[in-house]
Amino acid sequence: MKKLISIFVLLVSFAFTSNSYSKTEIHWWYGNSGFLGDVIIEIANRFNDSQDEYMVIPTGKGSYEDNMAATIAAFRAGDQPHYSQVYDAGAAIMVAQVKNGVVIGFEEMAEKYGIDVDADNYIPGIKNFYADADGKMVGVPFNSSTCLMYANMDILNEVGIEEVPKTYEEFEGMAQKILDAGYIPLLQSHSPWIWTENFFSRHNLLMTDGNNGYDAVPTKTLFADTEAFVYHWTKVKEWYEKGFYGYKGRAWGDNQAPFTNGEAAFWFGSAASFGGMKDVLPNFTTNPIPYWDSVTGGKEYPTFIGGAANWILNGHTEEEYKGLAKFIEFMGSPEMDLYYHNMTGYAAVTKGGIELAETINFYRTSPYHKAVGDQLGLEGSTIPGGYRAGNWPQIREVIYENVEPMLNGEISVEEALGNMDKGAEKLLAQFAKTL
Amino acid sequence: MKKVQFKSSYSQYIFLAPQLLILLIFLYWPIIQTFRDAFTIQDAFGFGSYFAGFDNFLFVFSDPSYYTAFKFTIIYSFVITLITGSIGLLLAVQANKVLHGKNVYKTLLIWPYAIAPAVVGVMANYFFSERYGLLHHLFNNLWGFNWYEDVFDAYIYVIIAGSWKQISANFIFFLAGLQAIQKTVIEASIIDCKSNIRRFWTITFPLLMPTTFFLIIINITYAFFDTFGIIDTTTIGAPGSETKTLVYKAYIDGFKGLDLGSAGAQSILMMIIVLIITIFQFRYIEGKIHYN
Repeated sequence: MKKLISIFVLLVSFAFTSNSYSKTEIHWWYGNSGFLGDVIIEIANRFNDSQDEYMVIPTGKGSYEDNMAATIAAFRAGDQPHYSQVYDAGAAIMVAQVKNGVVIGFEEMAEKYGIDVDADNYIPGIKNFYADADGKMVGVPFNSSTCLMYANMDILNEVGIEEVPKTYEEFEGMAQKILDAGYIPLLQSHSPWIWTENFFSRHNLLMTDGNNGYDAVPTKTLFADTEAFVYHWTKVKEWYEKGFYGYKGRAWGDNQAPFTNGEAAFWFGSAASFGGMKDVLPNFTTNPIPYWDSVTGGKEYPTFIGGAANWILNGHTEEEYKGLAKFIEFMGSPEMDLYYHNMTGYAAVTKGGIELAETINFYRTSPYHKAVGDQLGLEGSTIPGGYRAGNWPQIREVIYENVEPMLNGEISVEEALGNMDKGAEKLLAQFAKTL
Repeated sequence: MKKVQFKSSYSQYIFLAPQLLILLIFLYWPIIQTFRDAFTIQDAFGFGSYFAGFDNFLFVFSDPSYYTAFKFTIIYSFVITLITGSIGLLLAVQANKVLHGKNVYKTLLIWPYAIAPAVVGVMANYFFSERYGLLHHLFNNLWGFNWYEDVFDAYIYVIIAGSWKQISANFIFFLAGLQAIQKTVIEASIIDCKSNIRRFWTITFPLLMPTTFFLIIINITYAFFDTFGIIDTTTIGAPGSETKTLVYKAYIDGFKGLDLGSAGAQSILMMIIVLIITIFQFRYIEGKIHYN
């Protein structure tokens, strides 16, 4: 009984404490977990400590997919958060929702509530990725990553390789040596993201018709039609059979684990992946993802922005949006941008953040952080800096479904890519019906 | 016997109301919603929705991975029913014979039933992990086990993960069934027949038929619907879509893919499948069962 009473008293006192502050609450839902989720909570805490009027309440909903599903379900129930983190593959869906009054674009918000951060303050590539057809930024850039190549320098030293490969040709040349020494030469954690979407951007190739969906609603993907893409997967399959490339299923972590444990020489992952590795693997570097010299003729092109952005959802009070505007301002400040960049390895998304990094000579002390900016900052691309294709989460699923039978030899590379195109075409048509 | 009657004509509805309300909110309302979703095309947020006739169904039927999921679900429910039923029966018969420490055996055998499927999946994950998995290591030594790309190996993975906990359920019911058989019948049969095995198949097992029939339905429903958590924590449907159950596919398309129309159509197809299976069972199997 005593216990019950004390629990009751505790609950009542909680109820009173949250009431007694009477701050305006702003709900922020996110799809990161573990360390990245902790950083998000820390950001909210810092904002809450910096002023007394508003309180940002971050809520983790699991993965990116989980958070997007939760946000949508909440919206349908009229209970949506103010601010939600939605990933790259969902960007097309979110941008399309501005006209339905689900999403408030950043620029509209900035105009109405006076955010002191200009859209042009964000790095152009990132800004354009989350912008609508007119170039108005809709999503608020947040955790922007791209795929990078991690290299275990101890293994490379052991087998006598002095420089990490810049191209896939160079990798192919050194793979046998690594394999002979008893290591897995290459692993990667996301076939659709790294070896499909970013394969196209890295080689300056269009992935869908309609100029990647920027000029017109895309009707088909160009997987089987792109010679370089067919060539790439033919090579990957060859590597898989030779043992140059090890496939450990779809789970991100299962593919990362052998690298983190020092059993693999190279691993392709996200710019934000090094956090868990830093204290475990003694000697590794982050490098731009390789490209096929034979495809680009020695030129390098930037990859797409990965990760996620935060989206402002409609249906709340003016007072709450004022608070959210303050929060967006806070997160867009050079100090917070650099803090986040430093903590997570995600790219600095504002010009101010990058300037600050240069002023304090940040990259000299933290070389891990440099590759992401270098790769995203490359110039000369003639394709858009992203893709606007609906139902993309399902198209990723279709890609996965065909990679495995291709690797185990059940279907040929051409068949697999053809199946991907067919599956994607249907899903794109399905999405086009809802517009 | 005197009939119990309510004086007023509406008081019975008041007593029924709470239960009906629960049914209405948690059963009929979602079903109606599912029908609505299945026949409309809409974007993820529910906008641009319009009546689409059977478009969503045609979309599902044109998806090769739906047939793969269908095939897998049938195989999966058949194998799980067979494995869990036979092992559960074997354990129940053996445990029924034990004289000393009966309760210890029973408790230990029933325990896994209390574990949530998702947790079972996570545990199976450890056993089949390439890095530190006991079973992975064992099978790998036997024939080069690789569930990442080999369909047969992936089947083994999800079948073992899916069966383990359900064996307990079968065990409980078979044990109860065995204990309900009258001692006199067993004793009489001992006089007539010496062979243990023959006695089991001619006397005990037929008397267990009602339990068996019940367990077949339970096991099939389990494999159809409850293995969701296991698939999600083990293979996530890989390789290809070879280990996706129909429920899991509907979930992926509806909640990860955000295509509620297709997911709704799949749910309705699933309802039809379950309806057919149940009718079939009651028509053709139950007729052959004698309840005492």
